[in-house]
Amino acid sequence: MRRNFTIGACILVSAMASAARAEDSADQQDLANLSIEQLAQIEVRSASKIDEPLSSAPTALYVITNQKIVDSGVTSLPEALRLAPNLWVQQIDASNYAISARGFNGLESSNKLLVLIDGRSVYAPLASTVYWNLHWPLLEDIQQVEVISGPGGTLYGPNAVNGVINVTSRDARDTIGTLARATGGALEQTAAIRQGFALGETGAVRVYANWHNQEGLHPGVGADIDDDYNGWQAGFRSDFGGSEDHVTVQGDLFRTNADTFEGDGAKGQNLLARWSHTISPQSSFELQSYYDYFKRDFVLASESVATLDTQAQANLTHGSHNLVAGLGVRTTKDRFINNLNAFKLNPESRRLWTYNLFVQDRWTLAPDLDVIAGTKIERSSFTGWEVLPNLRIAWQPNEQTLVWASASRAVRTPSRIDRQLEATINGTPFLTQSDEFQSETLTALELGYRGQPSRTTSLSVNGFINFYDDLRTTEFVNGTFQLLNNRAGRTYGIEAWGTAQLMPWWRLSLGGATLWKDLHVKQDHFDFIPRNVVGNDPNWQVKMASHFDIGERIELELNGRAVGRIERDPEVGSYVELGGNLAYRLTDALDLYVAARNLLHDQHAENNDPNSGQLAKRSIYGGIRVHF
Amino acid sequence: MRPLRVLVSAFVAAAAIVASRPASAEVSESDVKAAFLPRFARYVTWPASAAPSGSNPFVVCVIGDDPFGNQLNSAARSQAVDGRRIVVRRLSSAEGAGGCQIAFVAGSRTAPVGQLLASLRGKPILTVTDSRNGGYQGIVHFAVVNGRVRFFINDADAERRGLKISSRLLALAISVKQ
Repeated sequence: MRRNFTIGACILVSAMASAARAEDSADQQDLANLSIEQLAQIEVRSASKIDEPLSSAPTALYVITNQKIVDSGVTSLPEALRLAPNLWVQQIDASNYAISARGFNGLESSNKLLVLIDGRSVYAPLASTVYWNLHWPLLEDIQQVEVISGPGGTLYGPNAVNGVINVTSRDARDTIGTLARATGGALEQTAAIRQGFALGETGAVRVYANWHNQEGLHPGVGADIDDDYNGWQAGFRSDFGGSEDHVTVQGDLFRTNADTFEGDGAKGQNLLARWSHTISPQSSFELQSYYDYFKRDFVLASESVATLDTQAQANLTHGSHNLVAGLGVRTTKDRFINNLNAFKLNPESRRLWTYNLFVQDRWTLAPDLDVIAGTKIERSSFTGWEVLPNLRIAWQPNEQTLVWASASRAVRTPSRIDRQLEATINGTPFLTQSDEFQSETLTALELGYRGQPSRTTSLSVNGFINFYDDLRTTEFVNGTFQLLNNRAGRTYGIEAWGTAQLMPWWRLSLGGATLWKDLHVKQDHFDFIPRNVVGNDPNWQVKMASHFDIGERIELELNGRAVGRIERDPEVGSYVELGGNLAYRLTDALDLYVAARNLLHDQHAENNDPNSGQLAKRSIYGGIRVHF
Repeated sequence: MRPLRVLVSAFVAAAAIVASRPASAEVSESDVKAAFLPRFARYVTWPASAAPSGSNPFVVCVIGDDPFGNQLNSAARSQAVDGRRIVVRRLSSAEGAGGCQIAFVAGSRTAPVGQLLASLRGKPILTVTDSRNGGYQGIVHFAVVNGRVRFFINDADAERRGLKISSRLLALAISVKQ
């Protein structure tokens, strides 16, 4: 029996290897014999053998490509973000997640990560968080997700302290045609459709709609909440180009419903326009403006934020200098109504302003050595001018190797909650406003390597030391609670990931991150709610992805992860989980697939949120995707 | 035991059959784009001053971060126009692009696509761009339609540079700017 199996396995492996070899050498030959009309009729896939051309960005950068998202069979943005080894992802309930880079994870504490979707910030400024269940872009139309762990540097907006997630959708000219997809399983269902068409002589537009439904999960550390969730998002993107101009106009509209309490759910819309213009071979500029509104009702509390943001950026090349300068202004009008408990914002509604100016020079000192120096100055309604400098050195001894180092300063500016939350219980002040609350600050030192040690392998290794000061503390002062800035300390860790194309039909990726935190409250102070600031972080995580091309019609992707223990009470044990996707291309226009996540256990805990933490659950679903 | 053995054998046989089937036309997007590039030479006429002279080859340039690697070299080797070879040159800036008949403008961090196009403005070079590298469009601009590689063509720009694009190529365009 065993011998039989061994022989069988050998036949299988050698057959797959020979098929893959044949494919490799045959492709170019076949293409050479085709007419230009036939070339235009070939069905293509966007997979590249090795992930990305080596990017020269001197940051800890991981790119989740469109192909990785589609291959993994995931149905939501947060689940797609699990693919990044430098992101820590905890599912909180059926639709909500806590996501962070380099620590401070948790529903309340993950407030140092900037998230952009096509240039629009989805960082919710009222509570300094990201509501992951409000964003349902059509995953097939995402071009890539850049995940930067560490301060985003000069060019990103406010609150890019511990990391930046930059989601970009595909140019409308790359999505002409029809796409329809449906997935269904016991725990979750989705349905989506997109239609793209050419518009005018140089442009294209697409419209899409995306529906989703998540069944509720069982309670973990938190109480049993009715976390069933459903909703839809629809929108459009249009791109028009010329040799000197590129114009993008796009917008989305969404509604969600939650079962937690009568009338719970959210709605919102946004509209964005961007114009890039080249003036000369040495100079170009970009203007962008967007409007964004969302309203979220959750258990007798309601919050809404309307944002208007405009930014301008100019690029100038002069000799060995590459200069970027810009300015931006953002205004938000928020409203927070709380009928659940005594915590109120005073005033209930307020308009806030943020201004920033930035300049950065990338100076090529030698062909293999760049120095990047830049600073941003930023002012908000709550703070004076903050100076946020960063200095980076990029050494590229050859095309396959980049070694970089950086020192930078970043801040999380006070939110309305930091400054203007108050509570009076039975006529006695319980929490008083903190007019003195300052920005939380970070000074970060980083060192990294990124390269392609061989033609079929890629590798990244980053190390960091973060020095924090003025982190939030909840203290008891003069008979009442108050939010102050009396926590400081440092965190450090290593992130590494690599991919190897072991066989033409087998790609293996391995990645992981470690994190040590050493944060303390300053002398003579006491923090009553440390968990809301310090976060609930495991010390390590490991992620694995294995992709098999089985013949030319079947692809198998396996995604595994192992995550360390969360020590902070209530403790959550370490866990190992596995997801996967088996896809069968029935015809050029039709894909069938079976995907799963959390396969190894019926349910497991991955967060310790005492209020709403539910257990992540095994989910198996079938999918069908048509494009024509 | 026996049913299990049969099952395993059947699985192995099925997998081997699936795996050993001849490769289909499903290829990567960049392979097809690489195959297109040297082929454009046959469907474009350059002014005499810009066409290769004597026994010189046609030159296809990639300016910026090269997405094709060896695929483009072998695609160029497999094509010839009027008995003329096609060679590939890789440039990091627009300097030296004067010798290119076709330029794939990929761009890079230090030389963005728009600025490279501005450097090549009005020159008798067939500029080619890609929606993946940003929104700026050269004369030929690659896009993906229903999972197939197609392109926009700016014939007005070609005309200004003295290039004549054949109707056979224009017929394949998603749309043509006259």
